[in-house]
Amino acid sequence: MTVEIWNREAECQDRDDLAQLQLERLQATLNRACKSVPFYLQGLQECGLRPSALRSLEDLVSLPFTTREDLNRSYPYGLFAVPLRDIVRIHSATGTGLRPTVSGYTGNDLGIWKEMVARCLIAAGVVPEDIVQICFDPGLANWARDFKDGAETLEASVIPMTPLELPKQLMIMNDYKTSVLVTTPSYLGQLSREMARRGLPHKTLALRRSVLAGEAMSQATRSHLEEGLQIKIYTAYGLSEVPGPAIAYECQEGHGLHLNEDHFLAEIVDPAAGTPRPLGKEGELVLTTLTAKAYPLIRFRTGDLALLTAEPCPCGRTFARLEMAAGRADQLVVIRGVRLHPDLIEGIITRMVKGAQPAYVAFVKRVEELDLLEVWVEVNEVLFSDEIKVLEILAHRIRRELEQSLGIPARVRLVEPGTMSEHRGRLGRIIDERRNG
Amino acid sequence: MLKVRSLQTFYGRVRALDTVSLSVRPREIVTLIGANGAGKSTILNSISGLVPSREGEILFQGKRLNGQPPEEVVRLGICQVPEGRQIFQPLTVLENLELGAYLRFRKRERREIRRDLEMVYALFPVLEERRQQISGTLSGGEQQMLAIGRALMARPALLLLDEPSMGLAPRLVLEIFRTIRHLRDQGLTILMVEQNARAALKTADRGYVLETGRVVLQGNARELLDDNDVKRAYLGRDYREFAEGRM
Repeated sequence: MTVEIWNREAECQDRDDLAQLQLERLQATLNRACKSVPFYLQGLQECGLRPSALRSLEDLVSLPFTTREDLNRSYPYGLFAVPLRDIVRIHSATGTGLRPTVSGYTGNDLGIWKEMVARCLIAAGVVPEDIVQICFDPGLANWARDFKDGAETLEASVIPMTPLELPKQLMIMNDYKTSVLVTTPSYLGQLSREMARRGLPHKTLALRRSVLAGEAMSQATRSHLEEGLQIKIYTAYGLSEVPGPAIAYECQEGHGLHLNEDHFLAEIVDPAAGTPRPLGKEGELVLTTLTAKAYPLIRFRTGDLALLTAEPCPCGRTFARLEMAAGRADQLVVIRGVRLHPDLIEGIITRMVKGAQPAYVAFVKRVEELDLLEVWVEVNEVLFSDEIKVLEILAHRIRRELEQSLGIPARVRLVEPGTMSEHRGRLGRIIDERRNG
Repeated sequence: MLKVRSLQTFYGRVRALDTVSLSVRPREIVTLIGANGAGKSTILNSISGLVPSREGEILFQGKRLNGQPPEEVVRLGICQVPEGRQIFQPLTVLENLELGAYLRFRKRERREIRRDLEMVYALFPVLEERRQQISGTLSGGEQQMLAIGRALMARPALLLLDEPSMGLAPRLVLEIFRTIRHLRDQGLTILMVEQNARAALKTADRGYVLETGRVVLQGNARELLDDNDVKRAYLGRDYREFAEGRM
């Protein structure tokens, strides 16, 4: 079977032409960003630079980084590079603090994102005849929308994300004859176990492919899912701050994810020192947008670990490939594809129990094969009540707030003072217990 | 075909171009749009060697053009149609066209020159009708045709057009842009500077938007026509007509 390429002219272009295109777009991006966004202009000025100091792609390393904290400090519209009346969509993602990270898109911007998703789906062998079902936790609703738009662009039949219980999703998958499932590795794993539990053979499903985004996945897990469900898996990489779930995408060769280099410039840096690392060496992925008009990002530190290889790919695409690594370069924890900052949990607890300042620890647990967040909150004198009901309501309220703000399953345990003594050193942190179980 | 990288050009101490990069691929029409003084014409003049550039690189079919004299740039296959139709007014139409092939006369390409003259006459029949007329007496539109015809006589691979629609009546503007598309269909590559941003973007494949010597936006012409900044800044006066889809 010949696999199609959505935009051959772009995806298979000569590397020299691509470098020229990147330079042109990078200079224009920088000129626009410094004209319209004080944050970027100040950043350059603090380094003693002018926007026109960038003479070659290599000069990019002299520009300052942009961090998640910078995005959060600019809440809500501080980093927008066009007037609000030009914005046609506004996205929120969980930030590093209480306030979300807000990004905006012009009509042209959305067109670019749609195309990137279409490139990804076509590379995964999706065709217009496919029935594409999209399942994400509410925390990844932005990606669900983009996958829907991209799949519609290539005229597949799309079942958009709907917040349904797993058995219902499974029923739809079975009855509607879903052939492509777009989701996270966690969700696909859960689905596979649910089928096993009910004794449903994979043959009852019409599923033949799955496009997975949001988490790194071990080769063993991948093979297990592919064999168990008799499907082929393709992965995609995206950021939650900008909606695109397909900044990089896997082709049929399955050796790394092609980065949309006509829209993004990637660097790999030493996570501690911020110094560049050569091709083929693992480090933190840093991304710069080349075409985004409304919400440009200059040297954004993703916190994701990856390596970049520029060796030609047999599929014909000339875009360099990312190989994502497990683990992170920052304090974020990824639960079911949602990137979570510890300050976020602290913010929610502080808000829910005003003034009480209880000690707490957050765990990421795998319970019955399902990843969830479990928060232990110490009941101090301020919180204490001799009515069980009052405490139950408190726990319920914190849990509901966590689930609504983060869009992932959560549990809350109120514990007596002293219970957390073994976790003393890790109060206020997120402890990932998944590796042990 | 043409790659310009981080070009810096000064007029005395005034910076006219500030790190400009752009490219033109074979058989493309690329347009440069922007306000007066944004540096559009300076880019063309830097490519054709009329203005020296201080830093950066201009590559044409892999050859470096920086520091080359204008006649060498013409010899390499780039010909510029200057702004304001600077034809030789006292000379006849035919003499002007023959001057366009000046470099080739020395190479004794008489037969080819004859054929190209026929090609120019086929493109602009009015020039053949008036070949013996003193060109200063031609109308504005005819002078523009003569200026383009003269450039074509050098048989360029890349044609640089500086404000081809300037000062022309609306009907003639349409005709000039139709001719430009026709030339591209014949295999010519075109880099064009235009004040009339809307007509230019409707004709071109891609475009670059310049502001005070810098490129602030680049992309395919259709996207630029849709861009709100472009609409506000350069399609301003005719915005209503534009929005209603009238030309």
